[in-house]
Amino acid sequence: MRKLLILAALVTAPLFAQVEGDIAVPYMPFEVKMGKGFNEVNANCLTCHSFGYVLNQGRQSKKFWRGKVDKMIVHFKAPITDKDAAIITEYLYEEYGNGKLK
Amino acid sequence: MKRRDFFKTTIAGAAATMATSLEAGVTGQPIDNRKISKLNFPEKRPMITYSDRPPLLESPRCTFANAITPNDAFFVRWHMPDIPTHIDPKTYKISINGLVNKELDITLDYLKDPANFEQVEVTAVLQCGGNSRSAFKPTAGGIQWGHGAMGCAKWKGVRLSDLLDQAGLKQDAEWIGFNGSETAAYYETPNFIRELHLEELDDHVILAYEMNGEDLPYLNGYPLRLIIPGTYSDSWVKMLSNITVTNKYKKLFFMDIAYRVPDNACECETPEKHAKTTKPITKMNVKSVIGYPENGEKLQKNSHVVVRGVAFDDGHGIREVKISIDNGKTWKQAELDSGEAGRYAYRTFKLAINPTKYGKMTIMAKAINKIGQEQPLAKDIKWNHGGYKFNGIDVVTVDVS
Repeated sequence: MRKLLILAALVTAPLFAQVEGDIAVPYMPFEVKMGKGFNEVNANCLTCHSFGYVLNQGRQSKKFWRGKVDKMIVHFKAPITDKDAAIITEYLYEEYGNGKLK
Repeated sequence: MKRRDFFKTTIAGAAATMATSLEAGVTGQPIDNRKISKLNFPEKRPMITYSDRPPLLESPRCTFANAITPNDAFFVRWHMPDIPTHIDPKTYKISINGLVNKELDITLDYLKDPANFEQVEVTAVLQCGGNSRSAFKPTAGGIQWGHGAMGCAKWKGVRLSDLLDQAGLKQDAEWIGFNGSETAAYYETPNFIRELHLEELDDHVILAYEMNGEDLPYLNGYPLRLIIPGTYSDSWVKMLSNITVTNKYKKLFFMDIAYRVPDNACECETPEKHAKTTKPITKMNVKSVIGYPENGEKLQKNSHVVVRGVAFDDGHGIREVKISIDNGKTWKQAELDSGEAGRYAYRTFKLAINPTKYGKMTIMAKAINKIGQEQPLAKDIKWNHGGYKFNGIDVVTVDVS
């Protein structure tokens, strides 16, 4: 009887891969403002995350954007040079800023 | 197509509308007019989409009309861009190591065998700490979620405590670290690890392999994730690969810097002066959201409308939900479901209303839990820089014609 029960359990709970083959996360197009500094954003930021991650933070202050860039460098270990960090901050504030420095 | 070409396209991302309110102001309702994207992510129907790497998907408001959120409409939030694209359930193992008497490498088969572990179920709400963040003004930092960074599912798995018992904790064991399988583009980037103190881990904490009777979807943490009923989802580590028991707390980005609120009574601060001390968000506050009707819905005068929604808290349980259709002047008690899904689940509510006047009508919902905590008006919610824990009274405006 016990053997039967185990068999039944195997039948009702088969182990199979959730999806066939590899999953593929689709690429999502985002409307990007091609302002000054976008090349640096493309090279430094978008290697790790989508533009949507930037865009959907909402409009923010210059201090906020600088803080985000610093967070990527300090906590996420992104190898961004000081020069690029400054350029990226300018771009983000120019295109997605709220008009406030702080 | 090369990525570069995508940047040049003029098709805007579904969630690309930006919050435009710039001045310091009063907290309002979260953004609620975002379109469902045209993209379907693995095992998901098209959802509100903020990002593809990492995937950030929001459930639409209609999902709050039901007690259970369907797996294919359940919100998705990852922190790192690379998640494993294939997991073989036959070879997948979860490791338990550190301060244990016996290190374990456990397969899914072993975990699912009732001879090894009691198989348990809990219906629980999974909500991002930043859910509804777009309500905060000025704009708080982080993804500008509407109400849909939450859902409720029936989770099946094994108790964490049973697993730890089998490994046998050493006497000085104090912290349990949980490591997910997502990775960053750089090797040096810290992994998504959570550390929980043994005292935080009661018998309600489970490692789940099943969600609403199916395997977990990949994007919700297949094949195994942590379930901590009553708490915000930042600790519900997905695609668990490793559990490490230690006696010393490690400094971790996702614990010590992210997902924290001011450590004061109002949990609030100002944009000019952030609080000096902070605390983790942990327990969820009382909240309700209307699932039907939705903002902008056209209703006929004198029609019979049943307002539906869900309410929940951190496990004290919902005592009542009240509905107002006159801007909060009077409130009517909504009918609650039996509550048999348990104290961590969505409690659904409904109330029949009868629009008798032409024009705009607002519908408000307010939940009160069993210890008397009730939702504040959105305008009374004070600001915090991460935009966490919004639980303002939900307001939906419809057109009666």
